[in-house]
Amino acid sequence: MPKYIVWMVLLVALLLLPHGLSFSQQEILVFLTINVLVVASYRLLTLTGEWSLGHVVIMGVGAYASALFSKKLGIYVPVTMLLGGITAALVAVILSFPLFRMKGFYFLIGSFAASEIIRLLWKRFRDPFGGAKGIKGIDPMPDFSIGIYDFDFFEPVSYYYFSGFIVAICLWILWRIEKSPVGLTFHAVHWQDKLAEASGVNLRAYRTLAFAIASGFAGIAGALLAHYIGTINPNSFDVEVMVFVLTWAIVGGTATFYGPILGCIVLTVLNEIVLRELGFEQMRPLIYGAVMILSILFLPNGLESLVQKFSQRRADGLAPNKASKGAAE
Amino acid sequence: MISNLVKAGLTRRTFLQSSAVTAISAGLPGAAFAADKTIKIGFLAPLTGAVAAWGKPGLDGCQIWAERVNAAGGIKLGDDSYTVELVSYDNEYDPAKARTGATKLIREDGVSFIMMLGGDTWPGVQPVADRTGMLFSTLLPSDLSPDTATLFAPTEVHPIYLVTGVEWLAENRPELKTAVMCAQDDALGLPSVATYLAAFEAAGIEMLDEPLLFDPATTDFAPVVTRLLSKNPDIVCLDTCYSDYVHPIAEQLFQQGFTGQIISATADFYDQMIAKTSKEFMEGFIFQFPDFDDPALNGDNINFEDPNGFYATYNERHPGQWGAVSWEYASIMDLWKAAAEKAGSAAPDAVAAAMKEGGTGNHAFGDAKWWGTELFGIDNALVGDWPVVVIQDGKAVIKGFRSIPDWYDKHGDLLVKHMQAYDQMWDQRS
Repeated sequence: MPKYIVWMVLLVALLLLPHGLSFSQQEILVFLTINVLVVASYRLLTLTGEWSLGHVVIMGVGAYASALFSKKLGIYVPVTMLLGGITAALVAVILSFPLFRMKGFYFLIGSFAASEIIRLLWKRFRDPFGGAKGIKGIDPMPDFSIGIYDFDFFEPVSYYYFSGFIVAICLWILWRIEKSPVGLTFHAVHWQDKLAEASGVNLRAYRTLAFAIASGFAGIAGALLAHYIGTINPNSFDVEVMVFVLTWAIVGGTATFYGPILGCIVLTVLNEIVLRELGFEQMRPLIYGAVMILSILFLPNGLESLVQKFSQRRADGLAPNKASKGAAE
Repeated sequence: MISNLVKAGLTRRTFLQSSAVTAISAGLPGAAFAADKTIKIGFLAPLTGAVAAWGKPGLDGCQIWAERVNAAGGIKLGDDSYTVELVSYDNEYDPAKARTGATKLIREDGVSFIMMLGGDTWPGVQPVADRTGMLFSTLLPSDLSPDTATLFAPTEVHPIYLVTGVEWLAENRPELKTAVMCAQDDALGLPSVATYLAAFEAAGIEMLDEPLLFDPATTDFAPVVTRLLSKNPDIVCLDTCYSDYVHPIAEQLFQQGFTGQIISATADFYDQMIAKTSKEFMEGFIFQFPDFDDPALNGDNINFEDPNGFYATYNERHPGQWGAVSWEYASIMDLWKAAAEKAGSAAPDAVAAAMKEGGTGNHAFGDAKWWGTELFGIDNALVGDWPVVVIQDGKAVIKGFRSIPDWYDKHGDLLVKHMQAYDQMWDQRS
């Protein structure tokens, strides 16, 4: 089947998807869409071999920046979202100076410490960050009409279309980056760092670049979140939320572009829809933890390995047919 | 227009119209089968996570309340009786999940009223409340503002009732003159800090240090307690710490040899605290939430029906789980039921009007008035008497009821001063 047909079918399915869901599932779909961008941007950072514990706080930087730009300076909301992403990227560049003096486990801990400092700053400075209560009454995305559809951004369906469009563009950019020479260099920085360095690659510069790009997109995700729920506070971006992002990435797998996205979708649907519908609302943390342990034990390469196995089998199944066709010809 | 076909938006008007139609049709004699005569009430609070102790016990209490009301014939609206059904949603104390939960409860489950803990979660729900006109309750009146017309704080006037504990302490232990305080640095901790500071100042008790604000992610309380005790205080105030903090702080106070007075908003699961420390150490611990087997709750002033029986049932089903909120949401349901029966309707607008009629209401601990313009910008908090509870011989005992409005009439300026210092007045919240 031609690739563009597959993409068209996927697009139509995504457009129709919210209309087959309940109201609360539509709400969850909005948050899921935003989280897809968070986890996909996180993967870009992991390409260089560094795992951060500060990605969610960086997402918060974008959320706070966008909220403040719109609330205090009256800047048009879609512009503030972009500014939120840029602010997050700039903060990442500043953080990179101390953080990229470290590697591996030390970087992980350093990123956690840096993110806690940012969270404490939000708490300490009630003006402008609102202290522990955070910021509320954040301007929503202004409603508009495109003739055939009126966007009312209180409604989850409208916000899903809007955020889905933004996230799709961001994912495409992330994909293009990964497939570009820059992306290949990120891989080299991870797997062949000595060789890359010997070839003249500035490891630190590329790590910083990956960190800044990933943070920029996480910042846009934070801005999307802030202008939907209308409130943010330091607890919305604490280490507990970061653990969820890590879990999505680990359970999904990070070898492929779609791995973490798969992890995010499967675990969110499991946690927010399946377990709640089955009446296990209060046992969710327990079951969620068990799923995490089981997936590490039995799917060490993540859910993406299942997809790879399936597509490999399919390819193997098609190969003899192709070969016999070729022989017949 | 395709957009009109595609979009099935929700406005306050369409929601209230549908509520009114539902309420009217439900009220028509013979129009509904008995099985259909159910009123759904939403429970939107943390049932898992660090704040679950202020959600889950409340849901358990509400289940008992609903069973008792249903067994007694249900809620009478006009000539008909309706059974009560609780529908819960675990918001994990997260504003985004609270928004999702509110949407589900209103648009899918068709609830007539939603009870919340409030705090960090309310701002996520507020746009839904504004759009639908749904009636909500909170345990935290610091959520109230002139913009929250459909939000009520009908039971717990947190943190204003805390002044009663300090007032009682100053009268009964006048030799205690100095205090220190710690609190988690969040939406619950800060207004409490301001209130305790006002109460201590009014009582002539000197604060030896600035309140010690710790991060809610704190798990090691040894340094916190060491710093508190370094000032050698007569009183250690634990503010409105979550039970996950109160327990380890009390343990640390015990281990570090503190023998003075402890005062706290809550002492949930205090039997476990006694087990971790000692009966002698916990003797005299002051807090604000009684066990409902207390004989003082059998007085004529109490509006909570059969508190002793409620407590017995609760402990039978959930042994060792009684906490500050076990009765509070049930008490809110008492108020809501009375208002709905007075209005003859479960429609949010009608119940809200009936609830505030005359400016007074039947609070669990006695008759009270709707109050709060000065502090919250709106009179949606029901304020009256509040009990002072002291642990004596391993058991919580009510030492008396104190009037919050009386204290406020005398010292309200102090409370406003400290609330302003912590940016906690309604017009200071960002």
